[in-house]
Amino acid sequence: MISISTSTSFSRAHFVSPKVSPNSIKSRSSLRISAACTSTAERPTTGSHTAPTSSLYEVLGIQAGATCQEIKAAYRRLARVVHPDVATNGQRGQTSAGDQFMKVHEAYATLSDPEKRADYDRVLYSRRPTVSFSSLGRSMCTDTIASRFAGYTRRKWETDQCW
Amino acid sequence: MAEPAYTVASDSETTGEDKSSSAFPEIAIGIDVGTSKCSVAVWNGSEVELLKNTRNQKMMRSYVTFKDDIPSGGVSNQLSHEHEMLSGAAIFNMKRLIGRVDTDPVVHSSKSLPFLVQTLDIGVRPFIAALVNNVWRSTTPEEVLAIFLVELKAMAEVQLKRPIRNVVLTIPVSFSRFQVTRIERACAMAGLHVLRLMPEPTAVALLYAQQQQQAVNENIGGASEKIALILNMGAGYCDVAVAATAGGVSQIKALAGSTVGGEDILQNMMRHLLPDSEILFSNHGINEIKSMGLLRVATQDAIYKLSSQTSVQIDVDLGNELKICKVVDREEFEEVNRKVFEKCESLIIQCLHDAKVETKDVADIIAVGGCSYIPKIRNLVMSICKRQELYKGMNPLEAAVCGAALEGAVASGISDPFGSLDLLTIQVTPLAIGIRVEENNFVPIIPRNTTMPTRKELAFTTVRDNQTEVLIVVYEGEGEKVGKNHLLGYFKIMGIPPAPKGLPEINVCMDIDASNVLRVLAGVVLPGSRHPAIPVMEVRMPTVDDGHGWCAEALDRTYGSALDLVTVQKKI
Repeated sequence: MISISTSTSFSRAHFVSPKVSPNSIKSRSSLRISAACTSTAERPTTGSHTAPTSSLYEVLGIQAGATCQEIKAAYRRLARVVHPDVATNGQRGQTSAGDQFMKVHEAYATLSDPEKRADYDRVLYSRRPTVSFSSLGRSMCTDTIASRFAGYTRRKWETDQCW
Repeated sequence: MAEPAYTVASDSETTGEDKSSSAFPEIAIGIDVGTSKCSVAVWNGSEVELLKNTRNQKMMRSYVTFKDDIPSGGVSNQLSHEHEMLSGAAIFNMKRLIGRVDTDPVVHSSKSLPFLVQTLDIGVRPFIAALVNNVWRSTTPEEVLAIFLVELKAMAEVQLKRPIRNVVLTIPVSFSRFQVTRIERACAMAGLHVLRLMPEPTAVALLYAQQQQQAVNENIGGASEKIALILNMGAGYCDVAVAATAGGVSQIKALAGSTVGGEDILQNMMRHLLPDSEILFSNHGINEIKSMGLLRVATQDAIYKLSSQTSVQIDVDLGNELKICKVVDREEFEEVNRKVFEKCESLIIQCLHDAKVETKDVADIIAVGGCSYIPKIRNLVMSICKRQELYKGMNPLEAAVCGAALEGAVASGISDPFGSLDLLTIQVTPLAIGIRVEENNFVPIIPRNTTMPTRKELAFTTVRDNQTEVLIVVYEGEGEKVGKNHLLGYFKIMGIPPAPKGLPEINVCMDIDASNVLRVLAGVVLPGSRHPAIPVMEVRMPTVDDGHGWCAEALDRTYGSALDLVTVQKKI
């Protein structure tokens, strides 16, 4: 596990988050290195641990019989909350914002495509309550496949830009 | 030589600290640096306002003149005559040159410009120079852009009465990540911090999203989803986007773009009027530059006139006993530029296809940028969408900069009591990102038009028994062969445990985070194990500097196919 994880992706936090004291930031050129470290325990658990417990409908907070319009509306509603551009405003939860948005988008991408949704529904209903995601196509659950990297990808320190 | 007129951001900023903690966050300004014209806008507390220079212009020419060692740009400088810009002392069209190597056809087509663009055709940056007192003074597109941005910054600071640091810039869709780093570099040279870089049509989409939301707020109609097709064509680039908009959320469905624009139309017309113009002007003598300048101005003028009239009389004396006296009609103009228009058409069709949107579902067609005044462009976008009219709610020349200013306000954390800034753009990747596999094939890992942030992974394997090393070469683009794509970087995985070919699983993961930073991770897993056999490599891209042309060739020469890898055939 990588133990250094700074509070945020550099750019927006500096300008938006009131909690980031400018004194804790040492500027080097145009990029920021935020010194605030959070322990690994605070890092969100990766999608692979949580994904199998909730269906894509639950991710979007909708009924299994939701219409296409409802799916789109739910996606947009959630995007306004979990999209990293929004989620960075004021709160420290950015470490998970990208992951959360990706999860929401993945659910939307599957459910808004009639074919993928039909495939997903078939598996969902036949396997419940123990949903096996491994039987789904990888496009539906990149989380599981990407989980091998999960400990590495969301590293939150920023080095200087490479020019 | 005098010191360059730009200031490079210092390592230890002494001024930034107390300001950023103020209760009022600094509102980032929006800048649209076009190939030919440029504009600046800012959220003034209730709406987007375009800034004007001292000559009361909102649209400023994008060029920098080098004269007596002191460069000055189109923001402050008053040209005595259009021809002064074409005397060899002014550098323009830098947006077409930035981040390109001298093997790039776009660089080659810039060789007919009045300043010096020299190519050695070996994959390094082109040599660019301005004629100052009969001396070719070398510069770079980054430097020219930085000088220009410094002027824009100074102009905005005077008008807004505050220091400007944060900017949202618009960029063409077809810009590679390497070109993006060049833009960032130019901004840093000018002391500007890039808060966001928005593909131009997505800035237009954001303005559209805001307009739709306001319309909904005013007559309390249903906030149903509206799909817009946006064509943004300026002097340098043609970009297309399909965006789904509802409730202030602009969801980009697909992007398409190409380096084709008014400059190509102009050059085609110049060639049409004077067929051997390129040979004539290739040696860049003083007289030739002058003739070329005259031809350029006359041609440009004729093209503008052809937007409102069906034929135009061109009458120009180029000196050296070269005279052009010709009537050109609109049909002829359209025939000369047929390829340009066909390219636009194919971009629109591709974008609609990628967005999986039927033309009947498109609510509004938005055509912006200087070329949107050309009747043929307007007609072709309307005919593809089977419509009779275009969206009228925005100024074609100001839409992109207004969108950038909106994003600047949103990204600065500004909120508006009337909800005018209740906006969000969900961006997609404009180009596919992937790696090189056997036989110089390109395998995308993140396909184009993938919603960002994103993380995708693909499994590869070795091509030889006991292969202990593989080369991960990362490219961006749409070509099936890597040669057609932009090289972003490369690294080697070493210490793969010896095993028969095809056995080690090499996972390559690409991650684009919320700040649009690309990281490439690669790990090796042997069958039966859940854990990486060697430490995972993580590389932030792009890592290449100049000369990516010969970089790829050098890799090929040194390693050949010895360190190749192939995609794992998925068992279904």
